[in-house]
Amino acid sequence: MVNMIQNDGWSKRRASKAARLARIAPWMKGSVLETGAIVEALQALLEPGDAVALEGDNQKQADFLSRSLVQVDPAKIHDLHLLISSVSRPEHLTLFERGIARKIDLAFAGPQSVRLAQFVADGKLEIGAIHTYVELYARMFVDLMPDVALVCAEQADRQGNLYTGPNTEDTPTIVEATAFHDGVVVVQVNEIVDELPRVDIPASWVDVIVPADKPYQVEPLFTRDPRLITDVQILSAMLVIRGIYEHHGVTTLNHGIGFDTAAIELLLPTYGEKLGLRGKICRNWVLNPHPTLIPAIESGWVDSVVCFGSEVGMADYTRARPDVFFTGHDGSLRSNRVLAQLAGQYAIDLFIGSTLQMDVEGNSSTVTAGRLSGFGGAPNMGSDARGRRHASAAWLDMITNKSATARGRKLVVQVVETFHKGGEQSIVETLDAIAVGKKAQMPLAPVMIYGDDVTHLVTEEGIAYIYRAEGLEERKAAIAAVAGATEIGLRADAKRTGNLRARGIVATPEDLGVRRTEARRTLLAARSIDDLVAWSDGLYQPPAKFRSWENSHANTQL
Amino acid sequence: MQTLNFEYAAQQPVARRAHVGVVGSGDLEVLIEPSSKPTTHVRVRTSVDGYDQVWKQVLDRFFSRFQHAAQIEINDFGATPGTVTLRLEQAAEEVRSQ
Amino acid sequence: MKTTDLDNAITKERRDRFLSRQSVIEMRARERARSLLDVGTFHELLGPFDRVESPWLPLQGVVPESDDGVIIARGQLAGQPSLIMAIEGAFQGGGMGEVSASKIAGALGLARRDCESGKPILPVLLLETGGVRLQEANLGEAAVAEIHAEIVALRRHVPVIGVITGMVGCFGGMSITAGLCSYLVVFPQARLELNGPEVIEQEAGIDELDASDKQTIWSLMGGEQRYETSFVDALVEDDATLLKQAVLDLAARGIPVHHRSENVEAYTRRLATIDPAAPPDGPALRRLWPRGEMP
Repeated sequence: MVNMIQNDGWSKRRASKAARLARIAPWMKGSVLETGAIVEALQALLEPGDAVALEGDNQKQADFLSRSLVQVDPAKIHDLHLLISSVSRPEHLTLFERGIARKIDLAFAGPQSVRLAQFVADGKLEIGAIHTYVELYARMFVDLMPDVALVCAEQADRQGNLYTGPNTEDTPTIVEATAFHDGVVVVQVNEIVDELPRVDIPASWVDVIVPADKPYQVEPLFTRDPRLITDVQILSAMLVIRGIYEHHGVTTLNHGIGFDTAAIELLLPTYGEKLGLRGKICRNWVLNPHPTLIPAIESGWVDSVVCFGSEVGMADYTRARPDVFFTGHDGSLRSNRVLAQLAGQYAIDLFIGSTLQMDVEGNSSTVTAGRLSGFGGAPNMGSDARGRRHASAAWLDMITNKSATARGRKLVVQVVETFHKGGEQSIVETLDAIAVGKKAQMPLAPVMIYGDDVTHLVTEEGIAYIYRAEGLEERKAAIAAVAGATEIGLRADAKRTGNLRARGIVATPEDLGVRRTEARRTLLAARSIDDLVAWSDGLYQPPAKFRSWENSHANTQL
Repeated sequence: MQTLNFEYAAQQPVARRAHVGVVGSGDLEVLIEPSSKPTTHVRVRTSVDGYDQVWKQVLDRFFSRFQHAAQIEINDFGATPGTVTLRLEQAAEEVRSQ
Repeated sequence: MKTTDLDNAITKERRDRFLSRQSVIEMRARERARSLLDVGTFHELLGPFDRVESPWLPLQGVVPESDDGVIIARGQLAGQPSLIMAIEGAFQGGGMGEVSASKIAGALGLARRDCESGKPILPVLLLETGGVRLQEANLGEAAVAEIHAEIVALRRHVPVIGVITGMVGCFGGMSITAGLCSYLVVFPQARLELNGPEVIEQEAGIDELDASDKQTIWSLMGGEQRYETSFVDALVEDDATLLKQAVLDLAARGIPVHHRSENVEAYTRRLATIDPAAPPDGPALRRLWPRGEMP
């Protein structure tokens, strides 16, 4: 590579990369770095002010590298500009406390959302911008190019090829942005082997491989215990299947994670079957491998699932269902967040997700005071992709005006119960997010999904077919009509609601032929984690936090 | 704990008595019996104070549809309006003449 | 049929059987009692409409339940007269108060009266309880003590069968109730223990027991562990048909020669094998106190 550094001042990045690698050469054998030398090596590799992409994906975390980075000497390495998709590890913020990092561009904060809000309030860090996942990765190719990428993989071979396996997630994207613009790619691996099951990332994209002290952290974020699904969530799920999926002929879709959508997944083999909908709806999915989708897959509902990431416990199941999932020639799952996000924007009929709060116009947010949680992927899934040109039945069904230039839309469905368990109303005049955004001096209020993107609102009171409403005022009336006993709901005029129902803009359970009393847990195809294991014939292995007693059916009197 | 009482005009009494639900967290039980008068009387005992108006709205809406005369007792442990409506529907179904 | 076809057919059959079972855990107490009794024979005593509630809970601002969380039902179990006493675990965690415990103690007393006058009746307790209801404290304790006395008297006449299904489990003073039963049948999801995991963590610290570590908890006090160490007599999958059969099988054994609670010497010997300085974990305890070792 040294030979490619030009003397005309046009390869400064290459020269810098060569110098950095030269500084860590003492600890390297080929491309493998001594585990014990990681802190010194990071100190030698980095330079103050560097843009560092640190792999905090939605699910997996390069935690050996973050735990090591937090130990560098702030006198030597400081003012780093961190690019972290999902701020999940305590070290991600401790880096700011220690003065090692100064600025951050992110997409999401889960467990660290409260601390992040505090740090912002205390001026301990500077936020560049809060993005969605794909926006942050997109900017890595435009104006946020990483100087150094700190990522994680399952295995490396001695040449430096990487196997990222089921939890491939964002690694190929981060590595591509870095490797092809002369950044340094550092990968922590669980182990180094002679032969990889398959090559997910080729060796020539990778500069430094370091065996970690323990396997990288992965959290099970997409598992929902069916025992926690309530009757009201089952009712909402019935409304969705009948009033939306069947009504519009939805065959391709994405479910945002939540108990409402878990209930839909578990109702397909029972309620969906009763309606005769198998093969007519819900065939192709953009979805992480939700355990709650197992009964539908086993019952022949699902043609395909493309995944953003994996899910702890689902490795053997996905391996055993290659006709459904995307697997490599080694048999294990391959995921890719950016590509699945692309599919979720352009190649599906519908997105559906639960929200915490919606305002009178249909804008929704999960932001509450004291937390800075960011956006994740929901805004991209939950919006119309206006650049789409190919048609599908459900997409075309969204056309309400027959003009010559009319086009369809993505169905964007929001589900919320009118009151939360603590008694708070979920449909409100103004989102809490507005005040939170103002207080934190954000350039835009943290709205997750905008009202003019929402096509349907589902509550336990019924469905508002918002896309059919003519104008903002009618949209507000449709939302109020299904807002139940909330303050907003009380504004609904009975006569107006009757008119909306007659015109198909609002539908109650009765209008859709859904009997509330049918909404019972006995309707769920699986009512416990045990049931999901049984549906999968033991292929699904629930992670520790979802296991209690041992599932040894062989010992019992079945 | 708060006790609330509501009364609605009604017609024929319900055919039988019925009981649904349990007083579990986020849930409620409903006891429904025929009333001898052409009114429906509802007594609500709820663990969460200050939601009088919400109870009124939920019950007004339900009893505008449910016209049979009944004595109803609700013991509530913080159920959402959605759950309350569901349990009332279940109770109504139980007392419906076959 | 090829071997793989046969394997797949067996697997599918086993799966379909598992999935078509009637989960008892998913049922409320009243439904559980009904599921044990022969169809059409369920008759409830002091049901919701009798409104025998706790007089103490409303005074403390707690909403009472019309049956105070206990269902007493008479009926037939495979044709024989039976008395089911089922605790509703969803109401106040199945905590025993003055009324709820007295319903059970009173029912046991009536059963004894029937047995003594030559009308045997099979008593079954569905134990889904955290123990004594704290809001009723001493009254609850006194009434639970009455339950204990009634069981000891009744079990001379007829086997008293205890059932622990989960998910609440059986704790506190009611675990002693379980220990006094003639026979116990449990699901794998059950837990049987004097002290609840949260109480242990609170009193003895998280190093003693992490109450969020479900696997460790079940390995110590779960249904399978209790079965493998002879603290319960039958372990069945969560299914109403299997449970009913297990209850019948145990009843058919008749009154045990020695009740579990009478085996003082045997349990003392067991305790002597434990070094408190190095207490065994769940699997180790199964080796120390194996099933079948107890008389």
